[in-house]
Amino acid sequence: MAQRIPRILVILFGYLVFSVFILFPLLWIFLMSIKDFKDIIAYPPVFTFTPTFDNYRAIIFGEGSTGLTTGISDYMKFLRNSVIISVGSVTISALIGTPAAYALSRSNIRGRDTISFTFLSFRFAPELAVILPLYAIYKKIGLYNTYHGLILANQLITLPLTIWILMSFFKEVPMEIEEAARVDGASVWQTFFHVALPIIRPGIASALIISFIYSWNNLIFGMVLGGAATQPVTVGILQTMNFDQIKWGWMAAAAMISAVPGMIIALYFQRHLVRGLTMGALK
Amino acid sequence: MESQQKNKHKLNSETPYYWMFLPALLSIIGVMVPFYYGVYTSLTNNKLYNPVAKFVWFQNYIDLFSDKDFLVSLVLTVGYAFMIVAIQIPLGLLVAQLLDQTTPFREIFRSILVMPMLIPPIVAGLMWKTMMNPASGIYNWLLNSVGLPSFTWLADIKTALFSVAVIDTWISIPFVALILLAGLQSVPVEILEAARVDGANSWQIFRKIQVPNIGPYLMLVLLFRFSDALKAYDLIYPTTRGGPINATRVMNVSAYEEVFKWSSMGTAMAIIFVLWLISYFVSTFLARKWQQAANDVKGM
Repeated sequence: MAQRIPRILVILFGYLVFSVFILFPLLWIFLMSIKDFKDIIAYPPVFTFTPTFDNYRAIIFGEGSTGLTTGISDYMKFLRNSVIISVGSVTISALIGTPAAYALSRSNIRGRDTISFTFLSFRFAPELAVILPLYAIYKKIGLYNTYHGLILANQLITLPLTIWILMSFFKEVPMEIEEAARVDGASVWQTFFHVALPIIRPGIASALIISFIYSWNNLIFGMVLGGAATQPVTVGILQTMNFDQIKWGWMAAAAMISAVPGMIIALYFQRHLVRGLTMGALK
Repeated sequence: MESQQKNKHKLNSETPYYWMFLPALLSIIGVMVPFYYGVYTSLTNNKLYNPVAKFVWFQNYIDLFSDKDFLVSLVLTVGYAFMIVAIQIPLGLLVAQLLDQTTPFREIFRSILVMPMLIPPIVAGLMWKTMMNPASGIYNWLLNSVGLPSFTWLADIKTALFSVAVIDTWISIPFVALILLAGLQSVPVEILEAARVDGANSWQIFRKIQVPNIGPYLMLVLLFRFSDALKAYDLIYPTTRGGPINATRVMNVSAYEEVFKWSSMGTAMAIIFVLWLISYFVSTFLARKWQQAANDVKGM
């Protein structure tokens, strides 16, 4: 009965509907970013127009600057802050998280499961339960509005991701290989560095990249714990909206630029995405 | 295997593992200190500008539960989480089915699909807010041009929360679909073949074979989406800031404003710990269900 419409057409129609749903906002904002003000506010909307890069120029070279900084536009400053915070956070998480994930998947440390589930719970609990008190503490001890303060706080996001993703990779390393190394006299540390680590290299890449995306995309840590000097791009982009909708073009250009890292990663890294996003719960 | 491991551990001490683990353990302490400081703060009348806080026991919580605005916010937060999973799981199943078909365009579709998940939610929020503008946005223009009336989107009390959920769906549908796709692909091909031979149609296969077999995956999606929706903030702040009036003032937004608008750290922490408790019970419950389902199916 239902076979009158060929199955393949139904599927392709489905692809089309969802692709339009996904792509249309990205396309529209991209178009907005290369329109001048007159074309942006035109109603009915215009689909043909002379493209301009003024919005990008304003954002990147600082016509959008409020004059608080010298030599570098506000937006580029926000971008730089995001890079410093995200790279710093994933680096520390990798350094701390990799050995920890190894220990959690290899040893019989007492309370091992409790500890791993504590890390898992950080992923699901409301972050404000930690960062609002942290705001008060940071103000007292001088970590408020500092890069290291933000990098430390970001561990709440990046460290659980790193540990859980890497645990799932370590669990797949065949025990026999490691045991052979141990029998040959290698220490735990040597086995870790020379046997296990090389095998799970893709896992480390996966953990780094997922943590980077989460850290880069995060808004609330920067809003609460960062001041004017250290706020990341997610907070900065809100400021292009401050003068209520006048700077749509700038907002669109800023949005496009801030979305670039994630997009590039998406193209290169699809294979490990699901595993990373589910913290290793799925392969 | 078990005894082998025990032997190994007799030969080699566990000490190196403790060293490997130490920095991460310190980071747990680094989380616990502010957390318990927050619990303490929620039992005081702490104000940001007043460093000497008085211990008031459960007064903040009592005040909250006699405050109508808070109760509305509580219902709104949980309701939003239910709305999110009610929209996204059926839709995600549909997309997962599409991804599960063998067609020449599947890879392209998959590449398109993952894009929204990788851009900052706040950016997505701002993009959609611009497009949802009731007077000048493209969406109402599109609705009008096919003869439909304008929609109020984020600007009306009745439609604001739903509109936020639409944006969230745009961001999260790839995540939901990819997990459920993994679920669909975990169903053994033989079972599907057998059902087809027996003359089952696609709908019957879906209802009677696929859905019961992807239980763990459904639970995993529920766990992630429900607990993320409970702490919604990144999307609500740029789009509505809790408004219009209180229509989207979920608990995270209330707590943020208690601190940064009214300086009441004590009240904010009380709100957050009510949210934390809900989130704790829900995620523990769903995580257990997920493990049970995984044991039942043995697919994971």
